[in-house]
Amino acid sequence: MIRLINICVIAALFVAAAYVYKIKFESTQRAEQVAKLRTEIRREHDAIAALRAEWSRLDNPARIQELARRHLALKPIEQRQFDRLDQLPERPTPLVPAGVSDPIGFLIALPELADTPTASITAPKKSER
Amino acid sequence: MRSALAVTHSTTLGAAPGTNSWRRRLSHALLYGPNVDRAAKAKARLGLAIVVFALGYGVIAGRLVMFAVAPESQLVRRSNAADAVATARPDLLDRNGEILATDVRAPSLFAEPHRIIDVDEAVELLTAVLPDLETAEVRERLSSKRRFVWLKREITPEQRVAVHRLGLPGIGFMTENKRVYPNGVAAAHIIGHVNIDNQGIAGIEKWLDRNGLADLHLAGLATDRLQQPVELAVDLRIQHALRDELVKARDKYKAKAAAGLIMDPRTGEITAMVSVPDYDANNPREALDPTRINRLTTGVFEMGSTFKALTVGMALDSGKISLTDSFDARTALQYGKFTIHDFHAQNRVLTVPEIFTYSSNVGTARMALKLGVEHHKWFLRKLGQLDRLRTELPESAEPLVPRNWGELNTVTIAFGHGLSVAPLQAMMGVGALMNGGYLIPPTFRKRSEKEAMALATRVIKPSTSEKMRYLMRLNVEKGTATKADVDGFYVGGKTGTAEKVVAGRYSKTKVLTSFTAVLPADQPRYVLLIMIDEPQGIPETKGFATSGWNAVPVGGAVIARIAPLLGLEPRFELPASDKLILASVRESR
Repeated sequence: MIRLINICVIAALFVAAAYVYKIKFESTQRAEQVAKLRTEIRREHDAIAALRAEWSRLDNPARIQELARRHLALKPIEQRQFDRLDQLPERPTPLVPAGVSDPIGFLIALPELADTPTASITAPKKSER
Repeated sequence: MRSALAVTHSTTLGAAPGTNSWRRRLSHALLYGPNVDRAAKAKARLGLAIVVFALGYGVIAGRLVMFAVAPESQLVRRSNAADAVATARPDLLDRNGEILATDVRAPSLFAEPHRIIDVDEAVELLTAVLPDLETAEVRERLSSKRRFVWLKREITPEQRVAVHRLGLPGIGFMTENKRVYPNGVAAAHIIGHVNIDNQGIAGIEKWLDRNGLADLHLAGLATDRLQQPVELAVDLRIQHALRDELVKARDKYKAKAAAGLIMDPRTGEITAMVSVPDYDANNPREALDPTRINRLTTGVFEMGSTFKALTVGMALDSGKISLTDSFDARTALQYGKFTIHDFHAQNRVLTVPEIFTYSSNVGTARMALKLGVEHHKWFLRKLGQLDRLRTELPESAEPLVPRNWGELNTVTIAFGHGLSVAPLQAMMGVGALMNGGYLIPPTFRKRSEKEAMALATRVIKPSTSEKMRYLMRLNVEKGTATKADVDGFYVGGKTGTAEKVVAGRYSKTKVLTSFTAVLPADQPRYVLLIMIDEPQGIPETKGFATSGWNAVPVGGAVIARIAPLLGLEPRFELPASDKLILASVRESR
């Protein structure tokens, strides 16, 4: 009886030792991994900071202004070019009402568009038609 | 369980004596002495051992629970030995989140002289790779007895690789934080700069150090990029536009210097502040040049006619003088041996609005005299014009106040001579006249209107503020500042031309012109100051060098450019100032 218990205890001891060793090993490994990831995160942060600094250097208004002056024909906006949204004109009613199955046919059939040329050539005179 | 174990033990031991009793008894007598109850003693020892082990395991179990429960922050953050010489600083952002200053990592080259085998070889190889190193200096440093010497701070990654390839013993790298200012000159006077150890030595950078960053660094905690960025009130786009216009103006009028300031009178936030010539924050050596100082905070000036706004504000707020009163400006004002002339002399009796729009020295002087010296002093002190103004910027200048302030001083100070203040200070006063009467200390950091109101003190009545805005607008409609009437933004403004003191005398040719504006005048969102130091008359200005010919058009150009950026909506066909602003004063009565 006692011997059995002893054997069991010894076996349990070995199992526990092995388990503890495994956990210890894993935790060391994890800790190393964490340290590595930390360095990596830090390096990434540094890289992001460097890129952001570079970005705002390229983005700085003085540089953009110089580039725009050299390459674009744009001019500073004037006060009269601003307007309020509620002063926008109404959207024109569409020529083709919604739900028409053949919009192009509908357009051709429209009487007020009959004389409108559909190509870039000049329209023939009525007498020549 | 403990007693059961002890019992089993004693029975096993107790079974032994029967077999080899004499030998056992001998060893027993030798080991324990003749009359000892061995079983009882063993039992006690066993008990002791069990208690000790149980305690040991108990402690271990307890610690395990503590480790499992306590968060990781308990662990001390160990910093890498190769880092952390230079302080990590928080980023500085403008009000829209654009980067004004940030840290990047840069390797620095150092040497441990005692580990260097061949100094000559090391010097030769290093100077070949880094041509800007001084040969003699490197040799001296490498032959020194010190254990650590810097060779070059902040080298490029390519140089680092090149030096690494040399394979020299005793030469190493440390990564350090390097402060960079991607926008260079744009906001240098506000941001300031740092020294080689990343410690702030000017501007907001120094303010950061004063407010705890230096302590954080001493505690060894400011090494990592964990700090919250600091948001400033400045708007990079506005700052650039203002600077661009001022640089152009300085060239055009061949002026010694030009400065500009844009402030939100409702919060005291400084949206832009430029003083040219300025310097590149990445090259702090330029900042040592005394002509490059920030004229708006570090310099004090006699503001000239701009100060008349304060005098008229005082007069209207006293209740003793109203807009319809008039003052005698028929002749120059004689005071002792001094004669005060008007620049735009009308030689007649002027009403208060006329005094303001013709910028009459005589009229304002008479106004101030009517209220008396003590009232004048009291009002200017209330408006913060007589004490040093402190902001986040460490650089500030004390106003030059006359020691014996007599009536003559009141006469001259009424039109802006004889009292030198920092322009920022004068703008704080003008802001109070415009925003409904609250004196709000200016700030370079973001601030909400609510926070501003907590700091504000009421200095004048709201109706006085409305009248002042009317006068400012009137001056743009038909006074000295007509060239700044930018269509759609309802600008109000006051011009100022102050003669500079040269060798103890007021010079006729060297002037400091200024233009103070408020936009829109009916509901002020921004106040603006343009200052030009010693502008020259040019053919375009018909040879004139007064404010209306230089500071005002520059102000107009700045307003036209920045108002859309500031989100001000252009409004056209607004009625004239007497209908729009003054009418509301009458209604509220």
